[in-house]
Amino acid sequence: MEEFDNTMIGRGRDAIDMIIDPDSLQENVIGSYVFDPEYGMGAVVGTIKLEGRDATVIANDAQTFSDRFPVVFGGIIGLEEGYKMATAVYRTMEADADKPMEEKRPIVLIVDTPGNGPGKMEEIAGMNKSTGSYQLALAEARKAGHPIVAIVIGRAISGAFLCHGLQADHILALSKDYGTMIHVMPLTSISRITKMDIERLEELSTSNPVFAAGVDFFYKLGGVQEVVNKVEDMREVIIRHINEIYAIKAAGQFEKLGPWGRGLLGEERGGRTHRLKAMAQMNAEYETVADKYINA
Amino acid sequence: MKNWKELEASSFLDANARERALGMVEAGTFTEFLNPRDRFVSPHLPVLGTAVEFDDGTVTGVGLIGKHPVFIVSMEGKFIGGSIGEVNGGKMVNTLRLAEKAAVQIKAAHPDEYDARRPLVAISFETGGVRLHEANAGLLAHAEVMDAFQDCRHKVPIVAVVGSKVGCFGGMGFVAAATDVIVMSEEGRIGLTGPEVIEQEMGKEEFDASNKALVYRTTGGKQKYIMQDCNYLVEDKISDFYDVLAKVADLSMQQIEEMRRIGSLKLVQEQMDLVKLVGEMQPKDSMDLWKYYGNESPEALPEMSTAEFLKVVKRRVRK
Repeated sequence: MEEFDNTMIGRGRDAIDMIIDPDSLQENVIGSYVFDPEYGMGAVVGTIKLEGRDATVIANDAQTFSDRFPVVFGGIIGLEEGYKMATAVYRTMEADADKPMEEKRPIVLIVDTPGNGPGKMEEIAGMNKSTGSYQLALAEARKAGHPIVAIVIGRAISGAFLCHGLQADHILALSKDYGTMIHVMPLTSISRITKMDIERLEELSTSNPVFAAGVDFFYKLGGVQEVVNKVEDMREVIIRHINEIYAIKAAGQFEKLGPWGRGLLGEERGGRTHRLKAMAQMNAEYETVADKYINA
Repeated sequence: MKNWKELEASSFLDANARERALGMVEAGTFTEFLNPRDRFVSPHLPVLGTAVEFDDGTVTGVGLIGKHPVFIVSMEGKFIGGSIGEVNGGKMVNTLRLAEKAAVQIKAAHPDEYDARRPLVAISFETGGVRLHEANAGLLAHAEVMDAFQDCRHKVPIVAVVGSKVGCFGGMGFVAAATDVIVMSEEGRIGLTGPEVIEQEMGKEEFDASNKALVYRTTGGKQKYIMQDCNYLVEDKISDFYDVLAKVADLSMQQIEEMRRIGSLKLVQEQMDLVKLVGEMQPKDSMDLWKYYGNESPEALPEMSTAEFLKVVKRRVRK
């Protein structure tokens, strides 16, 4: 593996400092709610300021360990982390419940996670509920008007990226020069499963971005809105996207944002051109029979 | 092909995706969208030398139960493990969008009869999640499904139907958890990290994937029922699943909302109580929790028939 001396992997807390107004992080406080600092320590939540405006930050902390849940380390999202992150989103909505849409505070997701907790206790308690609850909370906050921007600074791997990132309005990523990783599985695993040479897969991935690992492929599929080429630019780009999202929501164009918006972008960029065709054909087929079901 | 009556009497576990789709709605009412004759296949599989299926491994369509349109997504585990790619992921998302659209149309056409005609979505999960041959597109499709779920919230009930061989794992494990109502047979399994992956990542001492009894105790229908992670536990018969769908179709949205396990701050707090208990107790096996919830002989529960089990089982108490 290549070495990246400038990588942000494992540096979620540093990234927070680089993005926010100086010294503005109030960790474990959102609105009037105060979090237990001992709970879900693999996730950092709190209130920050961006150009003087309150925002919520949710980040991974790769430097912590859990005595209660030993599978949680290195940025893994465990049972407690998922529910803590979900709580941060619900408390954000609660804090701005009485405000009009244009004043609902942004939520910034700083993404550097290798996975969800893969253990027996996790399955017994239902790790799927923990990650699912965070995603539903983000979807609800996005639809309520909170601008949500995710920035991938390190690892955004499979289900953990679905959990922490893929429900945002816009997703940004540091360029691959920083060692940024976005994938479901590395190409070596795909090679094992499909029984194809890794060289052949690499060659194929240049013309088809749907299977290979990497920031640029996700960009082509619409999964990443914009690649940030310099770490110093993170703050400015995030603020620009927040303002764009406010404007898009004020115009009522919610469908340009979030997962559905990424689908439209994927078609525009030529990376995912079949799903919309499939949907159009289904819609046409539905129209021919709709009456029978609507007026049953 | 079996007729509808024969289908209803059949095993859900042994049924393929199309049989399950037909059996989850009334006889003769199912219209399939993008059926195999449309040949809307994955464009990505041939590139990697993998055979395609004409429905891309997922049956989608609409049928009726009473006056309720029932929108169906039914996954075929025999085709690449029921995995989700660009096309079948798109079919799943669009089925949810059509259900939401039908809800609007019914409200306009029959404003006084909405409850009696309210659409329902039933998803028969049989999948390990993302299809690796088109992993990035499959991953993005999962997020679209969660987004569409939130749009259906409080309008169109979504029911997860889980009783097929592959179970419901990976990203689809949290998709199932995010539905309104979950119905399982004891053969059904729901989880996030599949048994083989836990063993591979954490070692055989943490989880022995070849121990089938352990696998079922951890993710199977009975465990999920005790934990309140499934709402209905039924026998392995298509008609038993159908009966639950018919019942849910007639419940109020309030009753349906009460069956959810996640999706609000209050529900998150309830789940955090469970996580606290698990963190303190450090269970080595699901049976430790079964005992905690008042089942004095937990080792007897897996052996019981579903009917016996339902008579004696003690479940986690909800607030």
